[in-house]
Amino acid sequence: MTADTLVITSESAELARLRSWLGEQLSVRGLDSHARSALQVAVGELATNAIKHAYGGRAGHPIHVSVASREDGVVIHVEDFGKPFDPALYHEPNLDELNEHGLGLYIAQRLADEFSFDLARERGTRWTLVKYQTGTNPERSA
Amino acid sequence: MDIEVTQTGAVTLVVPKGDLDMATADQMKRTLSDLIEKGQSKLVMDLTRVAYVDSSGLGALVAAMKQARAAGGNLKLCSLQEDVRSIFEMTRLIKVMAVHSDRQEAVASW
Repeated sequence: MTADTLVITSESAELARLRSWLGEQLSVRGLDSHARSALQVAVGELATNAIKHAYGGRAGHPIHVSVASREDGVVIHVEDFGKPFDPALYHEPNLDELNEHGLGLYIAQRLADEFSFDLARERGTRWTLVKYQTGTNPERSA
Repeated sequence: MDIEVTQTGAVTLVVPKGDLDMATADQMKRTLSDLIEKGQSKLVMDLTRVAYVDSSGLGALVAAMKQARAAGGNLKLCSLQEDVRSIFEMTRLIKVMAVHSDRQEAVASW
Protein backbone atom coordinates (compact mmCIF):
# COMPACT_ATOMS: atom_id res chain seq x y z
CA MET A 1 0.00 0.00 0.00
CA THR A 2 1.78 3.15 -1.18
CA ALA A 3 0.77 6.46 0.33
CA ASP A 4 0.99 9.99 -1.03
CA THR A 5 1.49 12.75 1.50
CA LEU A 6 0.89 16.48 1.54
CA VAL A 7 2.15 18.76 4.28
CA ILE A 8 0.29 22.02 4.82
CA THR A 9 0.79 24.63 7.49
CA SER A 10 -1.81 25.69 10.03
CA GLU A 11 -3.44 28.55 8.11
CA SER A 12 -6.96 28.64 6.71
CA ALA A 13 -5.62 29.76 3.32
CA GLU A 14 -4.00 26.31 3.02
CA LEU A 15 -7.35 24.51 3.07
CA ALA A 16 -8.12 25.16 -0.60
CA ARG A 17 -4.74 23.68 -1.59
CA LEU A 18 -5.48 20.64 0.56
CA ARG A 19 -8.89 20.14 -1.10
CA SER A 20 -7.42 20.44 -4.56
CA TRP A 21 -4.62 17.95 -3.85
CA LEU A 22 -6.99 15.51 -2.16
CA GLY A 23 -9.45 15.70 -5.04
CA GLU A 24 -6.70 14.74 -7.48
CA GLN A 25 -5.48 11.89 -5.27
CA LEU A 26 -8.97 10.46 -4.92
CA SER A 27 -9.73 10.88 -8.60
CA VAL A 28 -6.61 8.92 -9.54
CA ARG A 29 -7.76 6.22 -7.11
CA GLY A 30 -11.11 5.95 -8.87
CA LEU A 31 -13.47 7.43 -6.28
CA ASP A 32 -16.64 8.95 -7.68
CA SER A 33 -17.41 12.64 -7.33
CA HIS A 34 -19.70 12.22 -4.30
CA ALA A 35 -17.11 10.20 -2.38
CA ARG A 36 -14.43 12.73 -3.33
CA SER A 37 -16.58 15.60 -2.17
CA ALA A 38 -17.44 13.84 1.11
CA LEU A 39 -13.78 13.18 1.86
CA GLN A 40 -12.77 16.73 0.96
CA VAL A 41 -15.23 17.98 3.55
CA ALA A 42 -14.24 15.36 6.15
CA VAL A 43 -10.51 15.97 5.79
CA GLY A 44 -11.11 19.73 5.66
CA GLU A 45 -12.93 19.52 8.99
CA LEU A 46 -10.04 17.64 10.60
CA ALA A 47 -7.50 20.11 9.23
CA THR A 48 -9.66 23.00 10.42
CA ASN A 49 -9.83 21.43 13.88
CA ALA A 50 -6.04 21.06 13.88
CA ILE A 51 -5.64 24.77 13.03
CA LYS A 52 -8.21 25.94 15.59
CA HIS A 53 -7.72 23.53 18.46
CA ALA A 54 -4.45 21.58 18.19
CA TYR A 55 -2.48 24.71 17.28
CA GLY A 56 -4.85 27.25 18.88
CA GLY A 57 -4.99 29.37 15.73
CA ARG A 58 -1.21 29.79 15.53
CA ALA A 59 0.12 29.78 11.96
CA GLY A 60 3.07 27.90 10.56
CA HIS A 61 2.66 24.51 12.20
CA PRO A 62 2.57 21.31 10.14
CA ILE A 63 -0.45 19.19 9.29
CA HIS A 64 0.29 15.98 7.40
CA VAL A 65 -2.33 14.39 5.18
CA SER A 66 -1.70 11.05 3.51
CA VAL A 67 -3.82 8.99 1.15
CA ALA A 68 -3.33 5.31 0.35
CA SER A 69 -5.31 2.82 -1.67
CA ARG A 70 -6.40 -0.50 -0.31
CA GLU A 71 -8.41 -3.31 -1.82
CA ASP A 72 -11.82 -1.98 -0.78
CA GLY A 73 -11.20 1.75 -0.95
CA VAL A 74 -8.91 4.42 0.45
CA VAL A 75 -7.43 5.19 3.84
CA ILE A 76 -6.56 8.75 4.82
CA HIS A 77 -4.52 9.95 7.77
CA VAL A 78 -4.62 13.52 9.07
CA GLU A 79 -1.93 14.23 11.60
CA ASP A 80 -0.99 17.23 13.71
CA PHE A 81 1.67 17.74 16.34
CA GLY A 82 -0.10 20.15 18.65
CA LYS A 83 -2.40 19.79 21.62
CA PRO A 84 -3.93 16.32 21.47
CA PHE A 85 -7.64 15.77 21.00
CA ASP A 86 -9.35 15.07 24.33
CA PRO A 87 -12.29 12.72 23.78
CA ALA A 88 -13.55 13.45 27.31
CA LEU A 89 -14.27 17.03 26.24
CA TYR A 90 -16.11 16.09 23.07
CA HIS A 91 -19.89 16.04 23.04
CA GLU A 92 -21.87 15.12 19.99
CA PRO A 93 -23.92 18.15 18.91
CA ASN A 94 -27.63 18.35 19.58
CA LEU A 95 -28.97 18.67 16.05
CA ASP A 96 -32.31 19.95 17.30
CA GLU A 97 -30.53 23.16 18.23
CA LEU A 98 -29.15 25.80 15.88
CA ASN A 99 -25.43 25.14 16.18
CA GLU A 100 -22.92 27.78 15.16
CA HIS A 101 -20.02 25.65 16.43
CA GLY A 102 -19.16 22.06 17.25
CA LEU A 103 -20.31 20.37 14.04
CA GLY A 104 -16.92 19.69 12.42
CA LEU A 105 -16.02 16.40 14.03
CA TYR A 106 -19.58 15.15 13.75
CA ILE A 107 -19.57 15.89 10.01
CA ALA A 108 -16.16 14.27 9.49
CA GLN A 109 -17.27 11.15 11.31
CA ARG A 110 -20.52 10.89 9.36
CA LEU A 111 -18.80 11.24 6.00
CA ALA A 112 -16.31 8.42 6.53
CA ASP A 113 -17.09 4.69 6.54
CA GLU A 114 -14.52 4.10 9.27
CA PHE A 115 -13.25 6.81 11.59
CA SER A 116 -10.72 6.64 14.43
CA PHE A 117 -8.01 8.61 16.17
CA ASP A 118 -4.69 7.75 17.73
CA LEU A 119 -3.35 9.61 20.76
CA ALA A 120 -0.55 7.16 21.60
CA ARG A 121 2.10 9.55 20.36
CA GLU A 122 4.53 12.07 21.67
CA ARG A 123 2.41 15.02 20.53
CA GLY A 124 -0.78 15.69 18.64
CA THR A 125 -3.45 13.51 17.11
CA ARG A 126 -3.53 11.21 14.14
CA TRP A 127 -6.96 10.74 12.59
CA THR A 128 -7.74 7.85 10.27
CA LEU A 129 -10.61 7.80 7.79
CA VAL A 130 -11.56 4.95 5.50
CA LYS A 131 -13.92 5.28 2.57
CA TYR A 132 -15.06 2.20 0.68
CA GLN A 133 -15.28 2.15 -3.07
CA THR A 134 -18.93 2.05 -4.06
CA GLY A 135 -20.05 -1.56 -4.17
CA THR A 136 -17.25 -3.05 -2.11
CA ASN A 137 -19.16 -2.99 1.17
CA PRO A 138 -22.89 -3.68 0.87
CA GLU A 139 -23.47 -2.76 4.52
CA ARG A 140 -22.52 0.88 4.01
CA SER A 141 -23.32 3.39 1.32
CA ALA A 142 -21.25 6.37 0.14
CA MET B 1 -14.74 34.86 -1.99
CA ASP B 2 -16.79 37.05 -4.32
CA ILE B 3 -20.13 38.02 -2.77
CA GLU B 4 -22.57 39.81 -5.06
CA VAL B 5 -25.35 41.76 -3.33
CA THR B 6 -28.41 43.12 -5.17
CA GLN B 7 -31.75 44.48 -4.06
CA THR B 8 -35.01 43.04 -5.43
CA GLY B 9 -37.80 45.12 -3.90
CA ALA B 10 -37.70 44.51 -0.14
CA VAL B 11 -35.54 41.42 -0.54
CA THR B 12 -31.75 41.49 -0.59
CA LEU B 13 -30.23 38.87 -2.84
CA VAL B 14 -26.78 37.57 -1.87
CA VAL B 15 -24.86 35.48 -4.40
CA PRO B 16 -21.50 34.15 -3.18
CA LYS B 17 -19.01 32.52 -5.51
CA GLY B 18 -16.40 30.10 -4.17
CA ASP B 19 -15.92 27.78 -1.22
CA LEU B 20 -17.47 28.57 2.14
CA ASP B 21 -14.91 27.31 4.66
CA MET B 22 -12.82 28.55 7.58
CA ALA B 23 -10.97 30.93 5.24
CA THR B 24 -14.13 32.67 4.00
CA ALA B 25 -16.68 32.19 6.81
CA ASP B 26 -15.77 35.43 8.61
CA GLN B 27 -16.13 37.43 5.41
CA MET B 28 -19.55 35.91 4.84
CA LYS B 29 -20.64 36.52 8.42
CA ARG B 30 -19.48 40.15 8.27
CA THR B 31 -21.19 40.81 4.94
CA LEU B 32 -24.52 39.45 6.16
CA SER B 33 -24.23 41.15 9.54
CA ASP B 34 -23.57 44.53 7.87
CA LEU B 35 -26.64 44.12 5.66
CA ILE B 36 -28.86 43.23 8.61
CA GLU B 37 -27.55 46.17 10.64
CA LYS B 38 -28.44 48.46 7.74
CA GLY B 39 -32.02 47.18 7.89
CA GLN B 40 -31.75 44.63 5.08
CA SER B 41 -32.88 41.60 7.06
CA LYS B 42 -35.00 39.94 4.36
CA LEU B 43 -32.22 37.96 2.76
CA VAL B 44 -32.08 35.34 0.03
CA MET B 45 -28.79 33.59 -0.59
CA ASP B 46 -28.34 31.82 -3.91
CA LEU B 47 -25.77 29.04 -3.49
CA THR B 48 -25.59 28.03 -7.16
CA ARG B 49 -21.89 28.92 -7.33
CA VAL B 50 -20.86 27.40 -4.00
CA ALA B 51 -19.59 23.84 -4.37
CA TYR B 52 -18.16 23.43 -0.88
CA VAL B 53 -19.59 24.27 2.55
CA ASP B 54 -18.12 22.99 5.80
CA SER B 55 -18.97 23.50 9.48
CA SER B 56 -17.32 26.96 9.54
CA GLY B 57 -19.53 28.02 6.64
CA LEU B 58 -22.61 26.54 8.26
CA GLY B 59 -21.77 28.42 11.46
CA ALA B 60 -21.64 31.72 9.57
CA LEU B 61 -25.01 31.08 7.93
CA VAL B 62 -26.67 30.00 11.20
CA ALA B 63 -25.34 33.10 12.98
CA ALA B 64 -26.67 35.34 10.20
CA MET B 65 -30.00 33.56 10.18
CA LYS B 66 -30.41 34.12 13.94
CA GLN B 67 -29.47 37.78 13.56
CA ALA B 68 -31.86 38.27 10.65
CA ARG B 69 -34.74 36.60 12.49
CA ALA B 70 -34.08 38.73 15.58
CA ALA B 71 -34.38 41.79 13.32
CA GLY B 72 -37.72 40.62 11.94
CA GLY B 73 -36.40 39.06 8.76
CA ASN B 74 -34.78 35.78 7.81
CA LEU B 75 -32.00 34.27 5.75
CA LYS B 76 -33.45 32.00 3.09
CA LEU B 77 -31.29 29.76 0.94
CA CYS B 78 -31.80 28.47 -2.57
CA SER B 79 -30.19 26.49 -5.39
CA LEU B 80 -28.03 24.23 -3.24
CA GLN B 81 -25.73 21.88 -5.14
CA GLU B 82 -26.26 18.21 -4.33
CA ASP B 83 -23.14 17.72 -2.19
CA VAL B 84 -23.79 20.97 -0.32
CA ARG B 85 -27.40 19.96 0.28
CA SER B 86 -26.24 16.67 1.80
CA ILE B 87 -24.26 18.60 4.46
CA PHE B 88 -27.40 20.58 5.35
CA GLU B 89 -29.37 17.32 5.54
CA MET B 90 -26.75 15.58 7.68
CA THR B 91 -26.77 18.41 10.21
CA ARG B 92 -30.59 18.75 9.98
CA LEU B 93 -30.22 22.42 9.13
CA ILE B 94 -32.34 21.69 6.08
CA LYS B 95 -35.28 21.41 8.48
CA VAL B 96 -34.75 24.61 10.45
CA MET B 97 -33.51 26.90 7.70
CA ALA B 98 -35.75 28.05 4.88
CA VAL B 99 -34.36 26.27 1.81
CA HIS B 100 -35.90 26.77 -1.63
CA SER B 101 -35.25 25.07 -4.93
CA ASP B 102 -34.51 28.25 -6.89
CA ARG B 103 -34.12 32.00 -6.63
CA GLN B 104 -37.57 32.87 -7.95
CA GLU B 105 -39.25 30.64 -5.40
CA ALA B 106 -37.15 32.01 -2.54
CA VAL B 107 -37.79 35.65 -3.45
CA ALA B 108 -41.51 35.00 -4.00
CA SER B 109 -41.76 33.34 -0.56
CA TRP B 110 -41.38 36.76 1.06
